Amino acid sequence: MKLAFYFNDARCTGCYACVVACKDWHDIPPGPVFFRRVVVTEQGHYPRVAVRFVSTACHHCDKPLCISACPAGAISKRAQDGIVVVDSELCLGRESCGGACLVACPSDAPQFGAEPNARMQKCDLCCDRWAEGKKPICVEACPMRALDAGDQDTLESSYGRVKGGGQS
Amino acid sequence: MSAKQKKMGEEKVVKTACSSHCGGRCLLEVHVRDGVITRIETDRGEEPQLRACLRCRAYRQRVYDPDRLQFPMRRTGERGEGLFERISWDEALDTIVSELNRVRSTYGPSAVLLLGGGGDASQLHTSRLLGGLLAMTGGYTDKWGIQSFEGGLFASLATYGTLSSHNAFDDLLNSRLIIMWGWNPVTTIHETNTNWYLLQAKESGTKIISVDPRYTDSTAVLASQWIPIRPGTDTAVLIAMAYVMIAEDLFDKSFLDTYTVGFERFRAYVAGDEDGIPKTPVWAETISGVPAQDIENLAREYATTKPAALVAGIGPGRSAYGEQYHRAVKTLAAMTGNIGIHGGWSGRSSVPQWQFGGYDFKLGKLPDGGGNPVERGVPPRTDALPTLKGSDSSARIHAAEIADAILKGRAGGYPADIKMALVMHTNPVNQYPNTNKMVQALRKLEFLAVAEQVMSATAKFADIVLPVSTFLERDDIIVGGVRPFYGFVKKVIEPLYESRSPLEICQGLASRLGISLYAGKTDDDWLRTMVAGSFVPDYDTLKEKAIYRIKSAEPHVAFKEQIEDPEQHPFPTPSGKIEIYSQWLDAMNSPEIPPIPTYIEPWEGRRDPLAVKYPLQLITTHFKRRAHTQFDRVPWLRELMPQAISINTRDAEARGIRDGDKVRVFNERGEILIQAKVTERIMPGVVDLPQGAWYDPDEQGVDRGGCANVLTRDKRSPGGAACHNTGLVEVAKVDEGKP
Repeated sequence: MKLAFYFNDARCTGCYACVVACKDWHDIPPGPVFFRRVVVTEQGHYPRVAVRFVSTACHHCDKPLCISACPAGAISKRAQDGIVVVDSELCLGRESCGGACLVACPSDAPQFGAEPNARMQKCDLCCDRWAEGKKPICVEACPMRALDAGDQDTLESSYGRVKGGGQS
Repeated sequence: MSAKQKKMGEEKVVKTACSSHCGGRCLLEVHVRDGVITRIETDRGEEPQLRACLRCRAYRQRVYDPDRLQFPMRRTGERGEGLFERISWDEALDTIVSELNRVRSTYGPSAVLLLGGGGDASQLHTSRLLGGLLAMTGGYTDKWGIQSFEGGLFASLATYGTLSSHNAFDDLLNSRLIIMWGWNPVTTIHETNTNWYLLQAKESGTKIISVDPRYTDSTAVLASQWIPIRPGTDTAVLIAMAYVMIAEDLFDKSFLDTYTVGFERFRAYVAGDEDGIPKTPVWAETISGVPAQDIENLAREYATTKPAALVAGIGPGRSAYGEQYHRAVKTLAAMTGNIGIHGGWSGRSSVPQWQFGGYDFKLGKLPDGGGNPVERGVPPRTDALPTLKGSDSSARIHAAEIADAILKGRAGGYPADIKMALVMHTNPVNQYPNTNKMVQALRKLEFLAVAEQVMSATAKFADIVLPVSTFLERDDIIVGGVRPFYGFVKKVIEPLYESRSPLEICQGLASRLGISLYAGKTDDDWLRTMVAGSFVPDYDTLKEKAIYRIKSAEPHVAFKEQIEDPEQHPFPTPSGKIEIYSQWLDAMNSPEIPPIPTYIEPWEGRRDPLAVKYPLQLITTHFKRRAHTQFDRVPWLRELMPQAISINTRDAEARGIRDGDKVRVFNERGEILIQAKVTERIMPGVVDLPQGAWYDPDEQGVDRGGCANVLTRDKRSPGGAACHNTGLVEVAKVDEGKP
């Protein structure tokens, strides 16, 4: 089984419920660490304007570039469910390696606190919640049902195969 | 580590409803360990789940805000300075009661002003408790004019004779066309799940058009077309749409003949028979900035797509002559026959909870003292509708005029000389118009007591501050409703510090005033009484499950009976019909409250001579991460986006302003310093400063918090609409070299 997120940008209103729910569940203090973010894109000129919201977190890629970039082997992909996790004890810290994982990641998933030589933290797809039969906190937070998570094959049969897929 | 874990208690999860003032009503699952909230989840039960927005997801930081008021305090510095000393609850309550007695015996009961508000959306712990207590003990001066939607309320009563005048939001799934007129539900939540239903409507092929000065987030996600419009000109465009429908014979003549009165008078006005001005799309274009072609197309689309919902947001009505906007919307709904049917929309008057999805909302009543002695025998206002029962007394003062009334009193034509005020669940310095004037007014009072959770802008002016608990620290009930339900707000943790609930505060005052009614009664006692008078079959089940849903076979449609069987079901108006020409308004004989929907040039509009000096129209909208002033200091929310004034790129360039620059925003009433957000998402000539940021004046009196009401005018619309979206300002770049 490979767990994955599903996101439908046509439904996202940029309400930030996912972002705040994530900070509360993982007890992340206010500051630069956001396991989940909303990226707002504004295009065009008045009155022809377009605005798009994209809620994004770690994609838990099939072949994560962060894993090969990490000099300390602190990042791994769990065999049982494909969740990409970081061992903060092994992480050398951002200044020590120049944030190699962040440089490698196409979606800015690795997060660092404001403290000196901060160790990497990231979305773990709420692996604690799956054990309780719950989906990730962001998925259950979304008032517009724009987010989902589950076995990738099941998601693809529900929503159709999503092209691209980053490093999958 | 494991030893530490063993010491920790079990984590329990408490299901509760929320009573935040965001416009939604949701369910929460609150995790508690050792009496401390550790996490907050939302509804995980049956669909449609009532999923909380970002505000309640961050509520833990509000409960444990280090700046929460911990104990009663007495002012030691100047009013507004924020210097206080700790006192006991006994001393605080004794002081309030002794001041109340002194002011009443010296000046009479009308010298006591109660400023309550909707700061908490529950049913028990409201400021109405204080009103009841004050009524029982001699009386007080009350206010009228609901700042959010008085214009809509007025128009609904005048046109339909009732406030229960709109369909449930899930009925929008039956619409083929939805026009979001100044309506941005993605940001200003109008009932939990309304956005979810709007999205489903869009996904099933319903066309959605947005008419708004801003390209709102709702426009971005839901609408396929944006029609920008100048603030305060909505009525002109709506009337020009009527012109098009009449000229092209696109209106529902049979509907008008059967269900309405006064269309011919309206038609004569639209044609210009009386004033010589035909209300053509070109006429409206010069006023509104909306191209005549767009007005024509919109009129045709609305008239020929059925059923269609022209959903009037309440923002455009928070303006000079805002009630005319709501009257015009209802007239168009009648002209297109979109009243009383699924997928139509008859207008918008108020909050849906008031009509509770079409059910008569029922809940056992709390003691109200049998009426306010200060209002007994006092005639109604001459400009009040006879159906405006309860708030039509001429002894009341309009919310927008509270500051002026305190400053001028009876000599200024107001019904009372106010000497003291009690404030609960509201923040007048921040949220009533003309902040600087309110500051002067509060300085003039002999006594001011404020019940609050935090040191708000108003609390800083208080003589006595009382710390209030949050909704997670007391029991209560809410009602909500796209699909109507009762929710139970549960006491999840003990109140922090010395904070007390509004009921406990009321009990403390009551015992000192010789009223035994509240003695010894708990939240539970009152709530049982309230639920006994409701549709809820069993109190304990409601308390356990936190929700009781009222099942309905289909979405509520307002006026279904009146339309299906008009003989048996007349409208509660003088004529028994929908009054495009209102007899009640006619009887008022006021040129500013005309009997037919009329475009009246607003003060401080773009064509006001004042616009030479202050050329930008200011609107003061809701902000995604606040509920008015509430939640503004919550760190998880504050970091999401800064308070900023939105200004169009062209207006910014003309002033040398770049995105993120610090700017001055000013007019005759005040000045603020704030960050500029330069954007293509707002109409040129319009600036938007989201209301609710905390007033924070520097030594020169310049507000550095970005409180929009520093700039708004304290004048009410003739029909009672508050005018927070009517005002002119100028914006200028701040020289970096100066502080």
